[in-house]
Amino acid sequence: MIEQFTQGLALAMRFDTIALMSIGLFAGMLVGALPGFTTLMAMAILLPVSFFLDPIVGIPFLLGIYKGGIFGGSVPAILISMPGTGASVATSRDGYKLTQKGQSRKALDMALTASVFGDTASDIFTILMIFPIAYLVMQFGPPELFAVLLMSLIIIAATSGANPLKSLMMMMLGLWLSFIGTDPLGGVERFTFGLFDLKSGIPLLPMLIGVFALPEVTSVVLRNEKGRKLAALMGERLTLSELRRCFRTIGRSTMIGTAVGIVPGLGQIVAAMLGYSAAKNASKHPETFGEGELEGVAAAEAANNAVNGPTMVPLLTLGIPGDNVTAILLGAFVAQGLRPGPQLFEEQGATVFAILVAMVIANLLFLIIGYLSIPFFSRLVTIKTSVLIPLVIMFSFAGTYVYRSDPVDLLILVAFGLFGIVAKAAKFDVMPMVMGFILGPSMEYAFGQTAAMSNGNTLGFFLTERTGALAVLLVTPVLGYLLWKRLYHKAPVAA
Amino acid sequence: MSDLTNSDRGPAATSPGHIFRRPDMSRKFLTPTPETLTTLSLLVASTLSLIFMSSLVAAPKVLFGRTLSAITPSLFPSIVLFLLAVICALALVVIRIGAAEPAGKGLTRGEWLRAATLFGIMIFYAVTMAPFGFLISTAIATTLISLQMGARSPVQIGLVALVAPVLLYLGATQLLVVSLPELDVIEMAYARLLPF
Repeated sequence: MIEQFTQGLALAMRFDTIALMSIGLFAGMLVGALPGFTTLMAMAILLPVSFFLDPIVGIPFLLGIYKGGIFGGSVPAILISMPGTGASVATSRDGYKLTQKGQSRKALDMALTASVFGDTASDIFTILMIFPIAYLVMQFGPPELFAVLLMSLIIIAATSGANPLKSLMMMMLGLWLSFIGTDPLGGVERFTFGLFDLKSGIPLLPMLIGVFALPEVTSVVLRNEKGRKLAALMGERLTLSELRRCFRTIGRSTMIGTAVGIVPGLGQIVAAMLGYSAAKNASKHPETFGEGELEGVAAAEAANNAVNGPTMVPLLTLGIPGDNVTAILLGAFVAQGLRPGPQLFEEQGATVFAILVAMVIANLLFLIIGYLSIPFFSRLVTIKTSVLIPLVIMFSFAGTYVYRSDPVDLLILVAFGLFGIVAKAAKFDVMPMVMGFILGPSMEYAFGQTAAMSNGNTLGFFLTERTGALAVLLVTPVLGYLLWKRLYHKAPVAA
Repeated sequence: MSDLTNSDRGPAATSPGHIFRRPDMSRKFLTPTPETLTTLSLLVASTLSLIFMSSLVAAPKVLFGRTLSAITPSLFPSIVLFLLAVICALALVVIRIGAAEPAGKGLTRGEWLRAATLFGIMIFYAVTMAPFGFLISTAIATTLISLQMGARSPVQIGLVALVAPVLLYLGATQLLVVSLPELDVIEMAYARLLPF
């Protein structure tokens, strides 16, 4: 393992890796800083670029976009109270109040510092924990894998929306879509309707861009924003004493974000809200939160960035993407010929370490690039959407086409975009659908292998030989329900 | 999350968690909202797929009288489709009895029209990219989208529709060495202009 780590370290220190990671960070901050434009959109559109790069370069490039985008979203949240990403909603509460008080520079500096600290600490945790977890996962057989995949899907469905029935519906739809093409066990055609283009199944990239990027674009078009007012960068920089005052809050939020990141489906928005609430509860002056409290910005930003590292744990060890952004990262891994799962650590240990080390290096670059470019990003909030939207659509279509050079993919892109809009209008979350689509083949394969192992007596097999997997299968619905209740439960109010 | 009290919400909101709210039996039919239409479509599609499963899934391959896998190719899809149909039916019941949270206003007619126009342009873009080539189809599509977004400056529209696609085309074909659809005429012009 030490040898793999040193090899990984050397790979991560390559000039092209650092250069592309820096470009990714800048691109992520740039897109995140544009109100209405999300990290997800940037990742989906720039995913095809990574296919043409070495895995050691292409995946850190996407990680750079991911990290940069989360921070970038805090720029419009602080300057014009318009969160660039969902993760920045909590930041906007105090950030914008600080801007109104003439302290926007202080708020942006705090957002950057807290983001970098949260991200770095959680990345180090990921590096330390990922190999023991991968070792544990290597002991899994098909029944355990099936149980864990089902558990992940249920948790994602339970946490992704206020209505669990809708989320389950979307999850089942995703599984159904994954059946289109060739059966992974017997190699026969299913649900292709005799169409040759569907024989290899629905391609992942047009689906990702279609359901994530195009509905966001349409939302901006529907809002019809033609221009925005200019928010000038004002006030003094963050002082060391102010940073020291917020250090406990940053540490607490980092731990919250790290814990949230490991659980598939929760993501940055939940982490930011939990971090913010915890900071407010722990504060001696909770009344100052929401009125321009620097600790509020620190709490939300440290928590939402601390999610980034740990989401790689389920992704790399089990191939389970924790959120929609890591679903795109999974697409990049698969396209690069790296199949996430326990075998990845045996076969490509150095590459895994290189990617993890690159995440830590990205944080240092993040601090430098962010610090130097805050004035530039603060002016981005004024760019007209009538310039940006046509460009985003152009990138979406070009990116989809270069994936397989197949014009049919463009129609699939538009079809999924249309579905994304309908789903948004009907308040269906597409995240469980994408997860079901990604995990469907692995689940069916594990299910088939379990059936083969049990020789027709599946229940007896679980009861006598695989009690651990059975326990996971039994606990999963309860866990999903408790998580849903915890997140979306309305406290009874007095009549 | 609403701040209303239970009495404000009415009889359908006396218990926490909206899937358990007391039913409102006054409504006789399902209102055709995006929510009900989507759920209904999924219910119909999953039920039809279950009925016609044998035609939608090929017969398993047999070697020396034995199938190649422990489960038939239609078993797992059948389980998933059955569960999907049950969940859709349950969701429709929940909507029908008024126990579900209202799905919100949804889009207005004007918004649907704007969305339809945008998707019309995107379908045109998708269909024309291969026959017209990337540059021409992008120029047309981005011009139309710019106009839809309210852009009226010819300079702005020109930059977005003519300069940006060329830069992307050159970046993709020369830096990433990937192909984008081309018209022969355009391809020949670039071959003459570019030394590499």
